[in-house]
Amino acid sequence: MTQQVLNAIFIGSIYALFAVGYTLVFGVLDVLNLAHSAVFMLGAVITYSLVALHGMPFLPAAVIAVLVCGVLGLLIEFVALRPLRRRNAPPISALISTIGLALIFVAIVEQATPGTLFGWLWQDGANSVRFPAGTVPNPTYHVGGLTIEGTKLGILFTSVVLMLVLGYVIRYTQIGRALRAVAENRRAATLLGINVDRIFASTLFISSALGGLAGLLFGLAISDIGPYIGRDQVELKGLAVIVLGGMGSIPGAVLGGYLLGLIEVLAFVRFGSNVEAGVAFAALFLVLVLRPQGLFGARLRERL
Amino acid sequence: MDFFVQLFTNPVGFYNQHELLIAQIGINSILAIAIFVTFYSGQLTLANAGFMAIGAYTTVIMTLYLPTPLPVNMLAGAVLAGLVSVVVGLPVLRLRGVFLAIATIGFVEALRLGVILNVPITGEGQGLKNPTADPLGGIVPILISLPILAYLVWRLTRSRLGQAWSAIREDELAASSNGINVPLYKMIAFIISAVLAGYAGALETHINFFVDPTEYGITRTIQILTFAVVGGTTNVFGPIVGAVFLTALPEIVRQFMAYRDVVNGIILILVIIFRPQGIVGRGGLAIIRPRWWTRWRARERTAAAH
Amino acid sequence: MSALLQLTDVRRHFGGVHAVDGVSLEIEEGTIFGLIGPNGAGKTTLVNVVTGYMRSQTGSIRLTSPGGTAELARRPPHAIAGLGIARTFQTLRLYRNLTAIENVLIGMHTRRRDDTLQQLLPLRPLMRLDDRRLEEARKLLQTVGLDPDQHGDRRASTLSYGDQRRLEVARALALKPKLLILDEPAAGMNPAEKDRVRELIQQLNADGLTVLLIDHDMRLVMGVCQRIVVLNFGRKIADGPPATVSNDPAVVTAYLGSHAPESASHVPGSEEMDIAATAKPAASAEPASPLLEVRDLEVAYGAIKAVRGVSFGVGKGEIVALIGANGAGKSTILNTLSGVLRPHAGIARFGDLDLTTAAPDKIVRAGLAQIPEGREILARLTVRENMELGAWARRDRGAAHREIDELMKQFPILGQRQNLPAGQLSGGEQQILAIARGLLAHPSLLLLDEPSLGLAPQMVDTVFEVIQRIHTEGVTILLVEQNALRALEIADRAYVVETGRILLSGTGTALRRNPEVQKAYLGG
Repeated sequence: MTQQVLNAIFIGSIYALFAVGYTLVFGVLDVLNLAHSAVFMLGAVITYSLVALHGMPFLPAAVIAVLVCGVLGLLIEFVALRPLRRRNAPPISALISTIGLALIFVAIVEQATPGTLFGWLWQDGANSVRFPAGTVPNPTYHVGGLTIEGTKLGILFTSVVLMLVLGYVIRYTQIGRALRAVAENRRAATLLGINVDRIFASTLFISSALGGLAGLLFGLAISDIGPYIGRDQVELKGLAVIVLGGMGSIPGAVLGGYLLGLIEVLAFVRFGSNVEAGVAFAALFLVLVLRPQGLFGARLRERL
Repeated sequence: MDFFVQLFTNPVGFYNQHELLIAQIGINSILAIAIFVTFYSGQLTLANAGFMAIGAYTTVIMTLYLPTPLPVNMLAGAVLAGLVSVVVGLPVLRLRGVFLAIATIGFVEALRLGVILNVPITGEGQGLKNPTADPLGGIVPILISLPILAYLVWRLTRSRLGQAWSAIREDELAASSNGINVPLYKMIAFIISAVLAGYAGALETHINFFVDPTEYGITRTIQILTFAVVGGTTNVFGPIVGAVFLTALPEIVRQFMAYRDVVNGIILILVIIFRPQGIVGRGGLAIIRPRWWTRWRARERTAAAH
Repeated sequence: MSALLQLTDVRRHFGGVHAVDGVSLEIEEGTIFGLIGPNGAGKTTLVNVVTGYMRSQTGSIRLTSPGGTAELARRPPHAIAGLGIARTFQTLRLYRNLTAIENVLIGMHTRRRDDTLQQLLPLRPLMRLDDRRLEEARKLLQTVGLDPDQHGDRRASTLSYGDQRRLEVARALALKPKLLILDEPAAGMNPAEKDRVRELIQQLNADGLTVLLIDHDMRLVMGVCQRIVVLNFGRKIADGPPATVSNDPAVVTAYLGSHAPESASHVPGSEEMDIAATAKPAASAEPASPLLEVRDLEVAYGAIKAVRGVSFGVGKGEIVALIGANGAGKSTILNTLSGVLRPHAGIARFGDLDLTTAAPDKIVRAGLAQIPEGREILARLTVRENMELGAWARRDRGAAHREIDELMKQFPILGQRQNLPAGQLSGGEQQILAIARGLLAHPSLLLLDEPSLGLAPQMVDTVFEVIQRIHTEGVTILLVEQNALRALEIADRAYVVETGRILLSGTGTALRRNPEVQKAYLGG
């Protein structure tokens, strides 16, 4: 049982890391970035590509992949989001344009086979692969009857450190305050001299970098890298997490991530793997119906 | 380009050669009408794939195990979809905007992962084989029902109900103050949309030999959403135009077929940024509009004010 | 006359705040009933409770009609509308993308027979019913002063502000209500338009309609209502005819604070006021080398021309005021100066900087800061964090920190609450925070948009003291105010803005004595 709890903590870290990026964009830009899961996938794909197809060692490959994903975040902002803001488009438009980008990202990888346009990036089309053996040292520790893999420990450590760093920045630095200001009241922030466009771009960069990181960690730990891992594994779970935690709340996303990991593992133990998949959505449903603002979200009230 | 050439010079031959495509266009058009109904009442619901699945599975299961005739099975599928929509809608429809979208996505996925893949009668992951499928004959009910449904929904938008939907779409709180029972009318739109989607799902199984659970997930719903966005949602013909255009597109541009989703994605982004009202939105088709159309529209506008 | 609407001990609280704290009143049929009170008194909350948008936690609301008495307390809004209560909204809620006629037709929803099923088959007889409805809608537009031919087919969002307010009334009338509730129907209108609103209300009442009117404009309310209830902090503090209410000491205190000027034994605006002119050195007409120069500025929102060729200047060290009614274009001017809006014609220069093209953050760094209308405090950040962001545009972090501590000493309220979320401060305290925050940017020109809005009279005193204090410390100020009296008292020079144009200009003193200004804006 404790072994399962450990698994829960570990998978929860990945959910949390992914969800933090999701909720950050929602909090600051008021936009649900549905291309986030595609960036998650690209984080894994790019790292794999650099390691398996181009022979780079893991660590530099991971760093490059994370930076590239950050840049993809900028792409999302400049191509899908900024033009809509300039035209005062309704919020649903941003939803749709990020869906469009996600379609493109996934399709590019899905169609990439040797000899095609993107064959340098990916060669397995719609299939899943895993990192070659020995990519990362993976000692196993046996402690008190529990089996702990080194990789998973490393992932847990990385996630926690990153979340703490992010938390510190948001809470105690001037730029963190600026982010919160923009999230709270765009107009007031502008009048204080904050360049809102630049804040948006920074937010998307950070968020997508985190998403890409979550993806490559996922690929490493679960040994599953392919064009659909974003859509199948985290897209909807990410939604469930941020709804659970409260949309726009970073502590909510973190807590929600671990909570979902826990619920999933418990459901698996109790009911078997078939039900486990649907658990996230049952949770999502219940939260939306009973307490739409989630754990930490603000109450939504309209002024009459 | 020979696609178009054949369309105009040899329509009968065109029809025979592309029957399946035409059938698919027809089904997608009905789905487009389904999502139009909820859009028109201001709701972004993404549950249509789920209701399709209900319609599809019910029809095939009844065909396999009950002696009832096919039309009854299909009707049962549509009706069941409607009933489920009531159960889903009651808790969910008071959510707004993004939250509603997420909740409906949640429903679809819960249905697919929780129910369809786990209940033996649905064949679980393997899907169901439909031995009575009739790909060629199946096109007939599609071609007959599409114009009828389009017409009915169009008239609906002109009725008191349709007017109430417009009001809700524009401002729910104001609509309440005008005596409009907002939760009830939203539910009605949701139910109609579900029934239409269920019906489309049932129709689709009639032309396929196989019911595939992976068909009814988020991707399908997003595809339907794309029809509505690209076609325009000001009136019922917009999404139909979108459906026709986007379903036929891969056929027309065969060499890009592999990258169909990339093209879809690009079209989606371009449309939503540069022409958010869609092809048929206000000012749409202005270039090729003949004069009799403009005069008819002006007359319709005064009549539409009723 | 019998009571049409009877409220008994209605209560509505949000957490610890008692927005409506045990209110009982009776509206008699055929009267025009007024509901007034300072900002935050609970007027709109009460209306929301009556119309079903909020639940009352106790008490009853009874509507009496020929058919009997109905209890409204726990019914949904559409049911209450169905019983014959129509309303307009303080924030104006039209169906913006539908035409004016369509808006009115939807108002008729409760009276339109449900023809949904019949509409599915095109039947000729339906057309006649449709024509009748159309005719009625056109008449309703005319009743409120809109021309059905000119305005009927226009989208509601393209109408002028005054016409939009009128349209909302027409839509409410389409319900054929027993009771019409008007929530701030004249907000943002100039005196001439307000007169027309008054006439409309009187005409509707003469035709037998019972009206409940909520508004801030005393002249309007006192002039048209037969009975008035005054709320303060959620409780009823007065109830009676206008003459009684306007002389009630409790009401005067509520509005003016305990330092009401001796000449005001009435609520200001209820009668002519006697303005005592305080001697002030006359300032020259326009500054020689202005810090801020605006010429022929034109700003539009879509089709609505908000600012139509405005020219003025602000010299170093001055306090200049822009006064005028809501909707006159004053805030639009300030937002254009801050770079949030762009003009389509005209010049705005701040020293060397062209304000019409510079990015908003650049403008702040150049020394032009705005304290916006409604304060726009970052409610969830603490007071201290708000102030730290005030120094965002500056590079000298150390000096900024020292100044924050200084300001906390200068305004002790801020120091005491520095770690509380700013949203928990009262309106007046937030205004002080906003000003302190604005000062941290070291502006050479400070724009103040309606600093007294929504504040209790005592707080208004404090705020204006603060403004004068920072002025003596060398900050140039451009002040926009609806409260013309106060603004003219402290301004060196002022401009009167009306419907996007400058009507008058002169020194503060001169304008205060100007009879036109007195009549229009001082209630004199």
